[in-house]
This record gives sequence, structure tokens and C-alpha cells, in this order.
Amino acid sequence: MGVSAPLFFPFAHLAVLRAAGAEFEAALAEAARISGIPVARLRAAAESHPDLIAGLDTPRICRGTSCELSGAAALAASVGSARPAYCLGHCDRAPVVLDARGGVHVRCEPRALAAAFADATPTPSAPRVRTLGCEPIVTRRLIRGDFSALGDARRDGAYQALARAVAAGSPAAVIDAVVRSGERGRGGAGFGTGEKWRACASTSGARRIAIANGDEGDPGSFIDRALLEYDPHGVLEGLALCAYAIHAREAIVFVRSEYPRAAACLERALAEAEAAHLLGERAPFPLAVRVVRGFGSYVCGEETALIAALEGKRAEARPRPPFPTESGLFGFPTVVNNVETLANVAWILERGPDAYAAHGTPASRGTKAICFNAGFRAPGIVEVPFGLPLCDVIEFGGETPCNRDELEGVLLGGPMGSFLRPEACDVALDFDALRSAGHELGHGGLVAIPRGADLAALARHLIAFMAEESCGRCTPCRAGSARARALYERGERNPDVGEFAEVLGVMESASLCAFGRATPRPIRGLLAALAEAQP
Amino acid sequence: MTAWIDGRPLEPRPGETILRAAARVGIEIPTLCFVEGIAADGGCRRCVVEIAGRDSLEAACHAPLSDGMRIATASPRLRALRARLDAFQCDAPPEPRCDESHPYLVFDAARCIGCRRCVQVCDEIPGRSVWQVAGPRDAPRIACDGPGLLRASSCVACGACVDVCPTAAITDRDRRDAPAPERRVRTTCGYCGVGCQLEVGVAEGRVVRIDAVQSAEVNRGALCSKGRYAHAWQRSADRLTQPLLRRGDALEPVSWREAIAWVAERLTAIQRAHGPDAIGLMTSSRGTNEAAYLLQKLFRVRFGTNHVDCCARVCHSSTALALAQVTGTGAASASFADIERASCLVVAGANPTEAHPVVGGRLLRRARSGVPLLVIDPRRTEIAEAATLHLALRPGTNVLVFNALAKLLVERERYAADYGASRCEGLGALATFLAGISIEAAAQRTGVALPQLEAAAELLASHGPPLFVSGLGLSELTQGVASVRALANLALLTGAIGQPGAGMLPLRGQNNVQGNADMGSQPAQLTGYQAVSDPAVRARFASVWGAEPPTHAGLTIPEMLEAAAAGRICALWIQGEDVAQSDPDERHVLQALERLELLVVQELFLTETARRAHLVLPAAGFLEQDGTFTNGERRIQRVRAALPPPGEARPDWLVARDLARELGLDWHYDSPADVLDEIAEVAPDLFGGVSMDRLDENGLQWPCPDRAHSGTATVHATAFVRGRAQFSIVPFLESPEAQVPGYPLSLITGRVRDHYNVGTMTRRTPQLSLAADDALTLNPRDAAPLGIADGDTARVESRHGSATARVEVSERVLPGTAFLSFHFPETHANCVTGPARDPESKCPEYKLTAVRVAKA
Repeated sequence: MGVSAPLFFPFAHLAVLRAAGAEFEAALAEAARISGIPVARLRAAAESHPDLIAGLDTPRICRGTSCELSGAAALAASVGSARPAYCLGHCDRAPVVLDARGGVHVRCEPRALAAAFADATPTPSAPRVRTLGCEPIVTRRLIRGDFSALGDARRDGAYQALARAVAAGSPAAVIDAVVRSGERGRGGAGFGTGEKWRACASTSGARRIAIANGDEGDPGSFIDRALLEYDPHGVLEGLALCAYAIHAREAIVFVRSEYPRAAACLERALAEAEAAHLLGERAPFPLAVRVVRGFGSYVCGEETALIAALEGKRAEARPRPPFPTESGLFGFPTVVNNVETLANVAWILERGPDAYAAHGTPASRGTKAICFNAGFRAPGIVEVPFGLPLCDVIEFGGETPCNRDELEGVLLGGPMGSFLRPEACDVALDFDALRSAGHELGHGGLVAIPRGADLAALARHLIAFMAEESCGRCTPCRAGSARARALYERGERNPDVGEFAEVLGVMESASLCAFGRATPRPIRGLLAALAEAQP
Repeated sequence: MTAWIDGRPLEPRPGETILRAAARVGIEIPTLCFVEGIAADGGCRRCVVEIAGRDSLEAACHAPLSDGMRIATASPRLRALRARLDAFQCDAPPEPRCDESHPYLVFDAARCIGCRRCVQVCDEIPGRSVWQVAGPRDAPRIACDGPGLLRASSCVACGACVDVCPTAAITDRDRRDAPAPERRVRTTCGYCGVGCQLEVGVAEGRVVRIDAVQSAEVNRGALCSKGRYAHAWQRSADRLTQPLLRRGDALEPVSWREAIAWVAERLTAIQRAHGPDAIGLMTSSRGTNEAAYLLQKLFRVRFGTNHVDCCARVCHSSTALALAQVTGTGAASASFADIERASCLVVAGANPTEAHPVVGGRLLRRARSGVPLLVIDPRRTEIAEAATLHLALRPGTNVLVFNALAKLLVERERYAADYGASRCEGLGALATFLAGISIEAAAQRTGVALPQLEAAAELLASHGPPLFVSGLGLSELTQGVASVRALANLALLTGAIGQPGAGMLPLRGQNNVQGNADMGSQPAQLTGYQAVSDPAVRARFASVWGAEPPTHAGLTIPEMLEAAAAGRICALWIQGEDVAQSDPDERHVLQALERLELLVVQELFLTETARRAHLVLPAAGFLEQDGTFTNGERRIQRVRAALPPPGEARPDWLVARDLARELGLDWHYDSPADVLDEIAEVAPDLFGGVSMDRLDENGLQWPCPDRAHSGTATVHATAFVRGRAQFSIVPFLESPEAQVPGYPLSLITGRVRDHYNVGTMTRRTPQLSLAADDALTLNPRDAAPLGIADGDTARVESRHGSATARVEVSERVLPGTAFLSFHFPETHANCVTGPARDPESKCPEYKLTAVRVAKA
């Protein structure tokens, strides 16, 4: 890809042609021709992206943890031709089905499913959004309703931070402000947002790219979907500010195919913003923004795998360094930021980095949106300042007593997060405090494991997820997850000694990316709890 | 700044991985998927190491070593983990499938452990994507890009994947059942002008395998199918093993003593009867420098003739002459390593992925990694498909395209003005000339649209000085010299010549065509391009040779053949060249050969030319002799005998020496090294520092004037050999083969990947199963109205003659253009080509003949 050629995403093009009715091979040949990628290479890579092979014309049943706890298996058994999805992002109203037209059906009962499918345009309402101990920052619009229409968003101040930053003319000042705010990336790793931007801005490349990572695959988390659907301008403004800061003229929002409504809302919002010359080539800061829908791989939430998927490669993570900030999409310096991360940025610039940093702890500044699934008494999204004890977040945010009478425990941060017993929740909600205690915040989803839940089945579910979503590139994770699954089915469940434990240990210590290193952790936690329950 | 690996302190270097740093202090960390020289795949994790203070492990192949790290590479924990990973690696579901479809490669999927080394190396070395990771995420498998089978894949049989496969899932058919080599000999490949370094394995008196020398600067571990596999000619049953003397219609075996005595007597008699100018010599570009040097010396000093020429005449003579006019020397200014340094690439009139596969793969990979590439070629070759921009011009219109691009660069002030002013001359005159030409007219005549010309000029001007890779598509035209001079204008306007990663890199065809001309196998130049007309030069040669070479320039190959046909040349000595098959206008060549009183041919096989000889001398092939070859980047490399020649066949340099002794000369060379020392002595500017003992590793690139000199990668770096480079005014002239009424198609002749020139060697190897015949390529728009379908046989006819070949209907040629290879004698491709040639270089016009085609 030269410095001036337009970016071309083979699989996005393939998906568009397929949606328009083209045969797979014909669409593949066309995508190969335009991209210059040999057709056989593209075909082989496509085989790693389930949507490209299966197409999008079968219903998808959410097999995320919340839905699994709410009877997704029975639901799946009642639908003949359906694919599993991890996950559809409506964990607050499990179980969920996505029909072939992109309609979302929540709180599905197997018996009522046929009637639900007949409803042409199901429109689940927005999740319940509150704050706890802070003012709303990332949920500043979400909490008040639907701001996807440009008029509503602008009346609420959208794009003013961008306009002021561009008028001030100093991308470096934007980076300085974000660095000073102390914001850390919300995708899970918690890397400093401003530091990432600075690393990219300081490269010598002639072409840089900003990407919003809307591949929120963690079962239990739905804040990104909610932001994309109800505050898309907040996300786009954050992305434009990122692009401005790093001298990018091109930006991409990668939205997973499991979120068709989010992608549609975003596309509509982008079109409105372009028409108003707030974004696009004719904006004061010219920026070409594209929305690309994903292809059904959880691992594309990992930034190098996301980039690989855009480039027409297999959905696989690759080693870092080089980090995407040096060599990212098609080799150009690239910043990949999580949607929630970006949705904070305009607020930080509007209100000042110090106002943001006033929330939270020294290590984890600001606030975090926590998602509560249907197992809590108060499902929905609660924005909290970093530093609150997790048990308080559960008690007052989820309105659920954090004890063994109520809960076996909670799953924090999805399948790469942690399983915590109620008594272990006396830990500050803070990237580093959690890490010190052996846990991961992940993307901040909380799934309640109610008292009496079948922990063995839940472990089986997480192991299946691990094996099915492993990208297949590195040996410990590819072979280890398959071995763990087989061993578990043979009855091996000891997380501390024996072959099963060793296999998990190989994954944790030697895997290429965080997926293989982290997915065994909640499984170990569940199995330890199981051993305690069945001595 | 210190880190410790297994307790050993070392200083971290920026960007250095733990694996590399460990190797630096002698610690070997086990790896599996890692391939040296390729960015780490990082998938197998076998190289994980412990870093003190971290719970998780890091893969040494991609984790950088940083200050203060304390690393353990071989703890009991790691050993146990690696054992587990080895077991994990073999978890892939067994696929009991063995692909035996390919003549050289076998893929046994049941042995594959999915390490992906083949995938990495195929992307990297031949620049292809034959091997894929396919299948769903939880069951990835390795597959080739053919529909199921390797034979149908895009594999070019370079063998790179075999070299890296850890489980022998991919193997070489030729060495599967072969004995282990008893000895291995490093030598230089005898096929094309790239000069790849080979390691030849010998057992039971034959070649059992050929591998690439991994450390070689030229090929960096890569080979093509010819270099790696096509060695069966060496033990072919029809090798010439005895001198053959014509008695009547028959060629009868004689002893060497008898043959040498006979030919010494005949040559002496002819010289006495008809004078020195009745004798001519053509030296072989397949032979060694030492053989070419001794033969031209013998004919010059003993027979007094300058009718000495080589096949460079019929390939790159135009390039050499043009570059000598422009810069002062006719060879490449750049080196192959510049391909990796270049920020912009131009390939003009060359098809490197077929004709020079190792270099072609490197160009392909650079293009695919995003380096801007401009291809100027009438055919949509593989490299053209990978190009940023392909100008598909009509054959024979190079000059118009290059002039148009020069005009755009000059008039838009997109040229290197400082370079033009300080290092060149003639820019003002060029600008005046260009002002008078019409770009619109050029677009009209060349078939390249104006916006494409503008985009090409912009590409040339936008990425730093380009590297210009050119081929015979420029040289083998009546405007051959003109084409190269016009291309050189672009190189000077972009400030390319003499810059690293830029300049002129003509791809030489034969393994030693560069060396053959260097040695003085040219009618007007002695060894080292020293003019025969210069008295000082002649005096220097006389002081070494004991006799002065003749003063007037001799005849070129086409002129010698003409003189032979006219009876003015009576004796011709041809070393290893099949002029009857390879030279244009075949009928005329045969007439010339038939008229000779004496035709001596040194050959491996009884070729079309040899069967017409009076004396045939059996020669040693490149696997059977010592000496040196010089590749297309001026690199003089060693050739070492892996085997003795069959029967009584002998290296050509020995034949030249013994003939000289028979003729009473006191020649006492005991080895090619002695000859090379004399070459250094007669041409000290280029070769003064060259001697056999200095060539062991990567040879030496000339100019290398003294023993302290390490050779020259970039010529003209500080000053041009001729002082200032010369911008050329190059008017376009139509070829006599252009727009001939009744002959609507323009025929290009050339090579295909699987064969080499007249096919003498490759047709005697399994290459034949990759390509069994010559093919005439026609565009569907030309084929359809003629009722010709793919696979039909067609007759192609020019004003000079005709040939018959199988037709390949393909978009690779433009409408109005056809392509024919010349590897098989039965095709008689050169019955079609005509007598037209460049007026200055005398290079024949192989690349343009007006033809018509009919279904046969």
C-alpha cells in the first residue's frame, strides 16, 4: 500500500458483495483482484472468519455467560439453524437472539421465539444507566437517553471540543491534555491513552491511522454497544480528536457484526456529521472516517488481530513489538482505541484534564462504566469512580448484596477477567489494585453467578469459549485450549495439580497474546470454588 | 547498560531480540517456527525464556532485550515447558494425504505440524504465497494455493520451503531416495547471470542434491528450480565424451592428440591461405572467464584476428554500449543488494520472475511490501501485476515512452536539478530537444495513455532516486542503444546513478555473459574494455602476451556470420554457443555455417550447430570445471569442479592452452588461478586486485584495482568514470518491423521460467515436465477472429520465415502483440526473426518482428 493509495479492506468488500447477493467465490475473486492479495491466500484467511464463511443469514443465539446462565442452551436447542455468538451485548436482558435481519430479541423464551421472530423490527430499549459516587462522564449522554441524532447531540455540546482543538491548532496540546488526565485504555490492558497517542504522533510516517475498536466481545460487557447506539457522536468526536492529535487523516470504526444496530446507528451518525461538515473531507479538520463491520471473531478485540482482519489476513494476533503505533494497519503508524476510551476524550478536553483526574485513584484516574448483567437485581450500566471497593459497586450499583447467601461469586471482566468469591470483592476497583490481587478488570463487565448456580457447567462454558475463540496462531493456546476441553470432558477438573492444571499453566505462561494468558484464570477460579463446594 | 542471559553479562543493542543477543554470547535458545532473516512469526513459543521479576514468559524470537533484564533460557521449568510444547505442536489432527503431483516437491500432510515455516519462507524468498494457513481457527492447516495439488499451484519449485521444513513434510523428490552426499562442493550456478552460490552434494560419482549457500551475498539462501534441481543434463547419456572429426558425412571419434594436431594444422593453413581475417572466434558466455580470456588471446596473438565476439552481442550489447556512452562503463552501476535498499523500483523490458527468478522474487516481495514499482513492458508479466503502475507499451516504442517521461520531469521541474548540473552534461540540449516532442503523439503511438504517463513521471519523481532494472526488452531492438540511453536520461534526471539503492541494474542473461565481455571477447576491445585501437593499450598487452594484438577492430557475431556466408570468413571456432538455434534469421545462419571450410565447436551436446561442425570438442560443464564466472552485478565468483567431466571431455581453458602449445606458444598456465593472475595484470584498473585466493567467500565486484581494494558495489558513486554523465538526445525511429502491411501482429521472442535459452541443459532434466514445448502466446482478441483456441497449433509467419507452435491464449500479451519462446529446436523460432539489428551495437531485433498467425 503506497502512501497515497486509498485503504482497501478485502473482507469488508467481500462482505458487502456477499450481502448484495454475490457468490462467495466471485466476491472473493473481486476482493483479491482489488487488493492484490493472491486469491488463495485471501480464501485461506477468510476461513478463519466465521461470518465470511457462514454468511449472516442465519439467526445467532447469544452464548455469552449471562445468556448461558439464563437458559441459552435450551434456546439453542429450540432453534434449528442457528449459530452461537459470543456475545450479543444485551447481558442485562438475557437470553438474547439476533435474527437474520439484524433484529435483536431479548429475554427470549423458547416457546415465544417464533412469535418474537415474526416481529419485524424489535427495538430493545436502552439499558438502564446510573452513576454511583461521581458525575456522569462517559455516560454523560447515555444517562439521559438517545443522542444518536446529530441535532440532539450538538445541542448537548457534541463536536465543540473538536472545534476548539482544531481552532487552537495544536495537536500536541490535545495529547498533553489526555496524558495529564491520566486516562487509561478501557480495552483491558489499561495502557495510558495519551502515551499511546504520543508514541504514534512521534513516528516519522507520512500516513497515520486512528481506529476505534468497537469489537466489544467480552460476554458481560455492553457499554461500547450502548455508546455506539445512543451516543455515536461522542465516540466519533473522540476518534476525530485522536486523529487530530496523531496527525491522521483517516479513521476507522471497527464494529463487530454481532452489533448490527450499533453499526447502523454509527453509520447514520457519521453521515449526518459529514453532511454538516463536522467530519469528512470538508470539515475544518478533514478526516475520512469509515465504518467497517467485523467478521465474527472474538480475537479481533485484540488490536493486532483487528488490524490483520482489516488487511485481509487471518484473525490472529501477532507479536509486538512492533506496536501498531509504529507499524499498524498496512504498516502505517496506527492508534487503536477502545470505544469507551474515546467517548471520554471530548469531556476531558471540555472540562480539563484536572477535572477528569480528580476522579479515581492515582493509578487509575477518572471513572469506569460497569455493566451489570441480568443476574443482578439492578441490571444495566453504572458509572463509578475508580477506587471504590468492588463489593460496594456490587451492593450499591448492582443493588445486590455481595455475600454467599446471594452469590456464588461474580465474573469480572469477561472470560479474560476473573471469578471472585463475594468475600474476595473487598478490593478497590483500580487496574493495579486488582492486578495485585491476581485479578483483571478487563472491560468492566460484571456477571452475577447466583447461589446454587451450576459451576461445573459454567466452567465447561468458559472452556468451550476458550477453545472456540482461540485464534489458532500460537501453539500453547491453540493446542492447550483443545486439550483442556478434552481433559475437562474426561472429568479432569483439578485446577492445581495434574495434567489439566499443567495445560492451563502452559497457556498462561507461554501464549502469544492476552487471550491464552488470561482465559484460564476465571476457569481456575470457578474450579477452585467447585472443589470447595464438592470436597 | 547491561543485561544478563544465563548469568552472562552483555550490552543490549537497540531493537535486538533476546534470541539474537543470546546467539551473540554463544547461547542457543531452541526455536521451531523462527526462520533466520524473517520477521518472527511468534507462534510456536518454543523459544520462551524467563525474565526475572515477571510471572509470564517471553518469546525470545521477538521480545527485545532491554537494560537490566536477567534472563534464564534453560531452567528446568523451561525444559519441561518446551517438552510440553513439542507435544502440543503435534496435536494437529492428522491429515493422511500425500501430494505427489509435482515433479520436484512432495507434500506429505500427515507429517505437517503446522509450524508455518514454509508459509513465511515462501512469502519471503520467492516472494510468493504458495503455502497458506487455511481452515477454521481451531483447526488451521497448511495448504498450497493450487486447487488441491502442488502441480496446479503457483509454486516455482525454488525449494525454499523444503530447506526450512522441520519434519520433512515437504521434501525434494530428487533426493528422497538418493544416498547422502559424500562431499559437498561450493560453486557458482551455471544458469543465469544472477550467479547464485550452490552447494553441490556428490555421491557415487554423481550429483545427488544441490542446495543454496545460506550465507551467500548474492542469493541469500535462495535458488530457482533450475539451479536447485535441473542438473540431470550432467549425467545425460548423450553427453559428448570424445572429440569427433568429420569424415565425409559422419562425425567419427578421434583422440585429443589427433584432434588438436588436426585443428592446429587446419587453422594454420587457412590463415596462410586467406589471411588472419578469414578466422573468427565466438567465445561462450556459459564458460569460465579463464577459458574466454585464453581463447581470445590465442586468436589475437597467434592468428592475428580481432574477429572475436561473444553472445553479449546478441543480448546486452546495446545496454553495454549505451551505458558506456552515458557513464563511461557499460556494466551495472548498482548491485542486487540495492533492491532491498531502493525506495522506488523501475523494471523496464525485463521479466525477472521468469528469467531471473531469484532476483525476481526479491523484486516481487519489495513491491508487495509497498515499495512503489513502475513496470514498462509490452507484456503483463507477473512483476507487472505486482506493480504500482504498469505502462503496457507497444513493442519497439521504448524511446517514445522514456522521452515523454523525461519531458514531463523536465517541464514540471520534477528532476534532480543539482545532480543534473553538478554531475552531468547536456541537460540544456536535452531540454531543448524534449521541448520539440509531443507527449500526445507519444501516447498515441505507444498505446500508453497520457494520464498514465503523467502518473509514471510523478511516481519516478516522488520517492527518491529509483533503481532501474532493465532487460533485453530494451536491448534487442533496432533502437536498442537508443532505448537504453533514453532510459539512462531518466536515471540521470532522477539523480539515480551512483546513489545507494538506485542506479542502473541491467539483468544479464547468461551466467558469464558479463565476464565474457570483460575478458575481451569483443572485436574492438581487449580485456577490461581497453580499446584495440589504442597504441598504449596494445603495447601493454604486448609486454605480457609477447605479441601485439591486431590494430583494427574485428567483426561482430552477425557480421562474422555474414562474412562466412559471403566466403570472407573461412574458419570459425565456436565455444559453447548454438548459433543455429539461437541467432536470428535461422536460414541465413545455416547458409553461413555450411560455407565454412572449418567449423570447430566446443560443446556439451551435439547441438544444431555442433552437428554441422568439422571438429567437435567435448567440453566440461559448469559442475565439472574450475575457474570464475562474473555475474550481472560485476561480481567475480569461484567455480569449482564437483565432478570430473564425463569420458574424455575437457575444460575449455585446457583445450585453449594445449592448442597454443601445439602451435608452438610457450603457455605454462597450470590452473585457472594462473590465468586470473594474468587477467589482473593486463587490466589492472578493473581487475588489478583480483586473484583466486580473494574470491572464496562472496567474490569481488569489479572495479577492484588493487589487493587492498574490497570491490565496488556502486559504480560512479563520487564521479562518473567518464567524468560527467552525458544526457542523450534520442530521436525515435520506427523499426523496419513496425507496421508492416500484411503482418498485423508484433512478435516478441524470449524465455520462460522453466527452461534456459536453447534448452540444451534444461531439456535434459525434469524441467521438461514443467514445460514440454514452446508456446505462442496470443491475446484472446487476436486469437478469436483467427478461430484459434487455447491449445491449438498455429503457424506464425514473418517476411523472413515461419514457425509452428502450440498456442496459449492469454491476457498477458496486449492485443496486437504475440510472444514465442525459443527453447526447443523443433520450433525454429528464429526462422521467424529477421536480419534487423541495432546500427551501433549490432544487436539483433529479437523483440520485434512483424508476423501474421494462422491456425495450423
